[in-house]
Amino acid sequence: MSARIYSQKWKDTSLLLPILLFLGIFFLIPLISLLVQSVTEPTLGLVNFTELLATSTYVQVLANTFLVATLVTLFAVLLGFPLAWCITLFPSGWGRFLLNVVLLSMWTSLLARTYSWLVLLQSSGVLNKMLMAIGIIDQPLELVHNLTGVIIGMTYIMIPFVVLPLQASMSAIDPMVLQAASVCGASARTVFFRVFLPLCKPGIFSGALMVFVMSLGYYVTPALLGGVSNMMLPEFIVQQVQNFLNWGIASAAASILIAVTLVMFYIYLKVQTESPTSSHTGG
Amino acid sequence: MTTQSSTPLVTLKLLNKEYGQFTAVNHINLEIEKGEFLTFLGSSGSGKSTTLSMIAGFETPTSGEILLHNNSLIHVPSHKRGIGMVFQHYSLFPHMNVRDNIGFPLDIRKVPKPERDKKVDEILKLVQLSDFADRRPNMLSGGQKQRVAIARALVYEPEILLMDEPLGALDKKLREDLQDELRQIHRRLGITIIYVTHDQDEAMRLSERIAIFKDGEIVGLGSGTELYNTPPNAFVASFLGNSNFLKVRIKSESQAQFEQQLLTLGTQSHRIPDQTDVLLMIRPENIYVLPKEQAAQEPLAADMNEILATVEETVFLGESYTCTLVTQSGQRLMGKAVAREHTDVTAGSEVCVRWSTQHSCVYEQWSEQDIMKAS
Repeated sequence: MSARIYSQKWKDTSLLLPILLFLGIFFLIPLISLLVQSVTEPTLGLVNFTELLATSTYVQVLANTFLVATLVTLFAVLLGFPLAWCITLFPSGWGRFLLNVVLLSMWTSLLARTYSWLVLLQSSGVLNKMLMAIGIIDQPLELVHNLTGVIIGMTYIMIPFVVLPLQASMSAIDPMVLQAASVCGASARTVFFRVFLPLCKPGIFSGALMVFVMSLGYYVTPALLGGVSNMMLPEFIVQQVQNFLNWGIASAAASILIAVTLVMFYIYLKVQTESPTSSHTGG
Repeated sequence: MTTQSSTPLVTLKLLNKEYGQFTAVNHINLEIEKGEFLTFLGSSGSGKSTTLSMIAGFETPTSGEILLHNNSLIHVPSHKRGIGMVFQHYSLFPHMNVRDNIGFPLDIRKVPKPERDKKVDEILKLVQLSDFADRRPNMLSGGQKQRVAIARALVYEPEILLMDEPLGALDKKLREDLQDELRQIHRRLGITIIYVTHDQDEAMRLSERIAIFKDGEIVGLGSGTELYNTPPNAFVASFLGNSNFLKVRIKSESQAQFEQQLLTLGTQSHRIPDQTDVLLMIRPENIYVLPKEQAAQEPLAADMNEILATVEETVFLGESYTCTLVTQSGQRLMGKAVAREHTDVTAGSEVCVRWSTQHSCVYEQWSEQDIMKAS
């Protein structure tokens, strides 16, 4: 009886009305107005986009953004992969501890974490002092207020977003499948590249995509750890709006960000359907 | 039956595996001949799967030796042992289609493409899966998946095929079909198969030799016929098929006392001292139950024993009848007869129970646990 009422309730789409209204008013309309702005201000046409793509400093900003996002994604995947594997291998001991560290760091305030990196990496910071004390370097390394700082800080912040989906897809892999590959004659290396890695692909893919897209639009960390000379797109947008009131260029830049995100999402959908969602072969 | 050649294909010498205090496999010795179908039979935790894992190279023995052609395998990693294996849960590669799953061992061995494709096609035909070559494993039924797994293990023509309860996850009908297929494959390819199961019917149906495992030891080794007809100990007798155990006392080389009468023991020689209490084992189908009047008409043959009992219950099982009998001292027996040869006895009636002396076995040592299943 109650199950029937429930199913009727679920069918009743009127319940969706509040959220649709909310999204419509506070998300869709501003988004559309942003897109409109990018082609209407100050004059009708693609002036903003041509300016954005023709001015070398602006192109540099775009290039920086993609470079940072790509490198951060790469490093986060490279560092997150062994971490996820360790968490999967020892679910009760070390793995659990590592997972808690990952989660805790994710839940700690972003600002606090970014400032800590500043403390660690600045020229009079812990890392430089230590390296100089040991005698490895004579001059402090410039680790912050440039792209290096941004990449270090963002990689750290993005690691949980790689580890969590990756760990989920690793724990879905049947260890017997790996043993089967080994008994078929595959060396540990071959098992890794021919069986394990392909089975992790969905996890790597969704983790990497999430990190890439988030990195494109990340503001706080690049603003604090980055330099003025090599800005990223979100900083550029803020600068255009707050300092120059140049809504047209800012909107065009934001539109490019949205377009890239949509393209990435499309690719994700295309690739994801072709790969197996899990390695479960039983039953 | 396998012919005894001078060097066995695989030799296990004092093979031992301990996990902390627990001994999973206790110093077993076994010789496996080339081309034979050997089954490790035992209940869960008896050490049969651990032994198989050690042969496959997934587990390292605590001590002992595994020899293949007289060469030690202990320090050879599993991918270099050249062994084929089929797992209970198929363990196919979910990201490859059937053809690539089967081709995987050949790809690793860098077999040229035309030859690889030819071999895969041949083996696909052997396991009757040619029409499914391009499917992913998740599009196959359980039986089909297991046939792919068998094909994958056979395609590179390993000398030995290990099978770890490969049919355990399948339903009865399918399991029997695959058992027949497997026996044919074994006959056709002449490959050595070591098969692990807890199902005694499966072991009987498939294998040439059976090794019965109990608490990490091999307690019975021989063909199904040998193990069934002359079990080496009470555990094997009760584990394999059904059995009756009578408690009797040895009186001489060929006689034992049961209740108030003497029973003739079979031709099986024993060195048990007189006055020892022993177990006499008789298979239910070797027991003849005769109503008293009929027994009076049929004189007792020289090589037969006869005792008196009361029928407790008779059960019709379609192809056969079983009846539970209680002797005068309260010991229970089970008789089994093919239904059409069955003579009518009713519950509560007094009957004569007869068996041929050559159908009984005597055991001096046993534990109550060994014979639990029988009572």
